[in-house]
Amino acid sequence: MNVQFKKGVLNLCVLVLLDKQDRYGYELVQKISNQISISEGSVYPLLRRLTKEGYFTTYLKESTEGPPRKYYQLTDTGRAYLHEQLDEWKKFTEGVNTLIEEGVKND
Amino acid sequence: MNKEHFIKELRAATTKLPPNEQYEIIQDYEEYFAIGLLDGKTEEQISSSLGSPKAIGKELSATYQIEQAETNRTIGSFMRAMWTVIGLGFFNLVIVLGPFLVLASLLLSGWVAGIGFIAAPLLVLINVLIYPEIFELFDLFNSLVFCGLGIFIAIGTSLATKRFMNGFIRYMKFNTKLVKGGPKHA
Repeated sequence: MNVQFKKGVLNLCVLVLLDKQDRYGYELVQKISNQISISEGSVYPLLRRLTKEGYFTTYLKESTEGPPRKYYQLTDTGRAYLHEQLDEWKKFTEGVNTLIEEGVKND
Repeated sequence: MNKEHFIKELRAATTKLPPNEQYEIIQDYEEYFAIGLLDGKTEEQISSSLGSPKAIGKELSATYQIEQAETNRTIGSFMRAMWTVIGLGFFNLVIVLGPFLVLASLLLSGWVAGIGFIAAPLLVLINVLIYPEIFELFDLFNSLVFCGLGIFIAIGTSLATKRFMNGFIRYMKFNTKLVKGGPKHA
């Protein structure tokens, strides 16, 4: 898939993954890259930006093995942003899907 | 590329950031490597899936500079932000520098006209000092009219400049969200 396309969607992926539970960076990256091929390094800049924009807060939590992990938690602003983005995404995909179906029928 | 090499390149690409920001960024990637190793991956596998540390650093720098331009609102921080955003890729040379040059030259001509008009009475006075024999009241009145006009042009241009800077910062934010630094498999 085209690069620009994916980067926009990455936002939404991260927000959705944090909706139900807090997660650490590595976990987020793995969850996403299991589904879509991304350059994993680009998730951290995104996380930093969304944190600075007030959509996430972070906290460190000790882990049973390895170093303490930085967890990301969705704020209320972040949740509102998520719903807004999700609505947009749904409208967009519905539109594209309708076009695809129509295209198939006409052929 | 092993972890040490990756971190070293990332550090080099983020030297323009304040030390605490840079430290946090390095910490994030250190953590990523540590967990990846526990997950049974090698340093080489982890760094190749992360992508180019240079591109990551460039992207982080651009985001930071735009933020600075947003809070400081000075010409200097604005220009720094613009250069870093342009540095994100050749594509940006066209879609960032292009519109910038067009709009900036319009604003510049506004400033030149405004300041030139404001200075008109002064020019008449200088003229009178040099050639006292050809003083005409008509010139002085005319120049005062121009001066007034110049003040309006300068006020207008100054508002337009502010608008332009705000708008351009918003555009760059939008741009960095779309255009990637260029890791190989985006």
